[in-house]
Amino acid sequence: MTASHEIENRLRATAEKLLREKKVDLFLGYEKASLPFRTTPLLLTAAEEAGRLVWNSFCTVNLAVYLPRLFKAPADAREAKSATPPPKVGIVLKGCDARSVVALIQERQVPRENLVLVGIGCPGVVDAQKAEKTLGEHEALGAGEDAQGSIRAVVEDGTEITLYRQEVLADACLECRSPMPAICDLVLGGPVEAKETDAARRRAAEFESKPPDARWARFQEMISKCIRCNACRQACPMCYCKECLLDQTRPRLIGAGTDISDVTIYHLVRALHTAGRCTECGACVRACPMGIDTRLLTRKLSLEAEDLYGYRAGQSADAIPLLSAFAMDDPQDFLTEPSHLPAASSSAQEAEQARRAK
Amino acid sequence: MARNPYLPYPARIEEVIVENEAGDIKTFRLVFEDPQSAKEFRYVPGQFAELSLPGMGEAPFGIASSPTEADYLLFSVKRVGLFTTELHSVEPGVRIGIRGPMGRPFPWDRMAGKNLLIIGGGFAFTTLRSAIKYILDPANRSGFGSVLVIYGARTPGEFMYKKELEQWRARDDIAVHLTVDHPDEGWTQHKGVVTTVLEGLKPSAENSLALVCGPPVMIRFALQSLNKLGFADDAIILSLEMRMKCGIGKCGRCNIGSKYVCKDGPVFTREELKALPSEY
Amino acid sequence: MTEKRISHTDLPRLLARLRERGAVHAPLEDETGDAVLTELSSDDLISLRYRNFRLSPKSFLLPQNQVLFRFQDGKEEEPALPDREMVVFGVRPCDAKAMQALDKVFLDGDQNDPYYARAREKTVVIALACTRPLSSCFCTSVGGGPGDGAGADVLALELDADLLLRALTPGGERLLSSVRDLLCDAAPSAVKEAEDRVRAAEEQIAPVKVDGSAQRLSNAYDSPLWASVSQKCLGCGTCSFLCPTCHCFDITDEVRGGTGRRVRTWDCCAYPLFTLHGSGHNPRPTPKERWRQRIMHKFRYAIENFGRPFCVGCGRCIRSCPVGMDIRTVLKEIGV
Repeated sequence: MTASHEIENRLRATAEKLLREKKVDLFLGYEKASLPFRTTPLLLTAAEEAGRLVWNSFCTVNLAVYLPRLFKAPADAREAKSATPPPKVGIVLKGCDARSVVALIQERQVPRENLVLVGIGCPGVVDAQKAEKTLGEHEALGAGEDAQGSIRAVVEDGTEITLYRQEVLADACLECRSPMPAICDLVLGGPVEAKETDAARRRAAEFESKPPDARWARFQEMISKCIRCNACRQACPMCYCKECLLDQTRPRLIGAGTDISDVTIYHLVRALHTAGRCTECGACVRACPMGIDTRLLTRKLSLEAEDLYGYRAGQSADAIPLLSAFAMDDPQDFLTEPSHLPAASSSAQEAEQARRAK
Repeated sequence: MARNPYLPYPARIEEVIVENEAGDIKTFRLVFEDPQSAKEFRYVPGQFAELSLPGMGEAPFGIASSPTEADYLLFSVKRVGLFTTELHSVEPGVRIGIRGPMGRPFPWDRMAGKNLLIIGGGFAFTTLRSAIKYILDPANRSGFGSVLVIYGARTPGEFMYKKELEQWRARDDIAVHLTVDHPDEGWTQHKGVVTTVLEGLKPSAENSLALVCGPPVMIRFALQSLNKLGFADDAIILSLEMRMKCGIGKCGRCNIGSKYVCKDGPVFTREELKALPSEY
Repeated sequence: MTEKRISHTDLPRLLARLRERGAVHAPLEDETGDAVLTELSSDDLISLRYRNFRLSPKSFLLPQNQVLFRFQDGKEEEPALPDREMVVFGVRPCDAKAMQALDKVFLDGDQNDPYYARAREKTVVIALACTRPLSSCFCTSVGGGPGDGAGADVLALELDADLLLRALTPGGERLLSSVRDLLCDAAPSAVKEAEDRVRAAEEQIAPVKVDGSAQRLSNAYDSPLWASVSQKCLGCGTCSFLCPTCHCFDITDEVRGGTGRRVRTWDCCAYPLFTLHGSGHNPRPTPKERWRQRIMHKFRYAIENFGRPFCVGCGRCIRSCPVGMDIRTVLKEIGV
């Protein structure tokens, strides 16, 4: 695994060159933030400032979220007349982020030819909230990582505490199957292999093994903390609708308050609308100020997309988005054929039948 | 105990009048269900109210009637969005809620004894109707100097309050000049934009105040002409529109700088507006 | 006002006594170990180990959603306003001070907000002074401090074995008087030690230059820096929803058939659709105008209207922003 500071140097040089040679108008990356365990997005336009870019285990934000707004089509002919041509954008991408960019290309939200994709194989990023929690009573005033990838935090009394990656990596990273950016123009650093390729499936199965009442209760308990701030939606690169269906007033689908039924519909609809499009980057979870694990739903839907249709979002820029296409051999179990549902779900079905038989 | 400012007064729509040829501006005559409400709802021309249809929400509208029209309120509504479309579809007899009165009215204390130049464009004439009716009331007229009204619309059919305009044109204590962009056959009055008429009439700025209500483009040009005619910025009175919700300065939506259009406005002098950020 | 004292072990008895007269909300740890202000029932063990709560206590005065009135067949019916007294124990001084800011908006003396007024009237606030500020705290730069009791009825100060209690309002005095059999007088040495701890906390808080912000911001309205400091903003609403002084709300009707209700819900000026007119015109069309509004409102317009910034330095916005925007950095970069 190439040391992150080496990659950082290459990243700075790459960005500097791209900007100086005007191959890009803007380079999206990360720079140091004011709090430890975090970086903050940097929208760089000046080649001489490339030294501000950083690359480390705190580069959590999925930068793809900034792309749709950079390429928004003019609203009408009048706007089109005064519109500036779309920019050329360079962007540094981890595996999940790259899949988001590809998914956006698939959905015609960003033009491939305007992008320079700089990929970096990602060994996982730190969830700042998790890291802060493990420190307990202490507060980190600074944090970094050593050559072995351990996270070192300096706390308020000056002592240094080592945090183990497994404890502070984002949940999404612990289940990551795509650490290497699938599609990019250049790759910095060496290859990174996915570690626990079964983790997502195991987490989903673990939840599904609970009785239905317990699952519903857990779900309701989790979302009862929701304050309807919409941070999960705003942080998601795939939620780029100008006006969210759930904000519209005619027809009004849900209220804007915290009635549990409104909150439930919000989360279910958002999960369903990202089905087959979500790249499991975890931005939603990290954005949530209340600590809701929104990936409980999206993880399952991503697995369903894979099991039913062999599809994972953001693997190929030419692939038609899952729910925009069909194949003649898609499962037809409702009307014409026996169930094609895979084994894991069948056992859940049997368990449900057994429960009802009681 | 003070009244809940979020709770509308119940009222009923007594009459619906289609104002313009295009049919998308209607005037609603409303009567409070409880005479006590009428007593509490004491307003001054230039103010607005929020009309409420339970289930549909609310929207703010300038009050078109004058307090001298004792038994009813008039609101003119242009059909532009969801609430106004719904309102346009209701029949007389339907129950409607009114919250208010709200906002800072025209500066009547400063207007006393002055010559008044009233400039209106298109749909924005609503609160100007309230002002003019108030000024012309026999109890008030002698408290003001000369009154000159210039009202512009796209076509003759688009004027509001056509009956009142005719009555006012027939009077000798007010001068009313109407102008259109596209005259039809039989149009004998002005053609052209409001500013052309204004610069042609050259009203004196001496001891005068100007009230200007209209679309942003008209206001911009009218301000230039008024400055040329010698009207100082604090002698030019404007009324602004803004997206509003609570109408009482609490929900934070309608501010321009440190001023809330619902509470510190919607009436502002040009001088006051110049001190505010141009974010509206 | 003499300080009173109660041991930590006796504190549950005091809270139980207060529960006899109404609801008591105090910090309980949830399943993830976070402290949350929760209504106490009999056996709950409160925890004072927190720095601050995720959500600010403004929700007691201005809840995320509030029914303004119900309607049926076109007739409106006001909801009954709460009658029950509520004691909120453990509010940090920054959050208590924020309530004074909200008072200026909702109890402006012109059109008092009846829902807010009733909640404020019925709520007794026991603030808990801070001894361990976070690096994101900056209350001392916006007119507050870790031991500032403004906005609270009682200020509690932690010592190792005891809690000191200082009544700050007539309501606070009544509250302490109602449990006087559980309290002793605090020794002057204890008071001094508590104040020393507060002072030590004050010294840990890094200052942020906010003095004169109103003037500097008014000069900076057209600065090109607004575009660059705001471009990372996702418009996610987290900052406003967690902020103890943010008060913007939306009003909407919810209907089912012939019945329904008009509710108000938290809103946020950083949302793209916040100022969208029915005509399609939006005076704040990009993150630049919206961020400028946020900063201007808190550090200039509020000062012009109310004589104080609408920020209490709690740091929630800094810690919770998903893209690491820091209001202190923005103030510095704009030249405030």
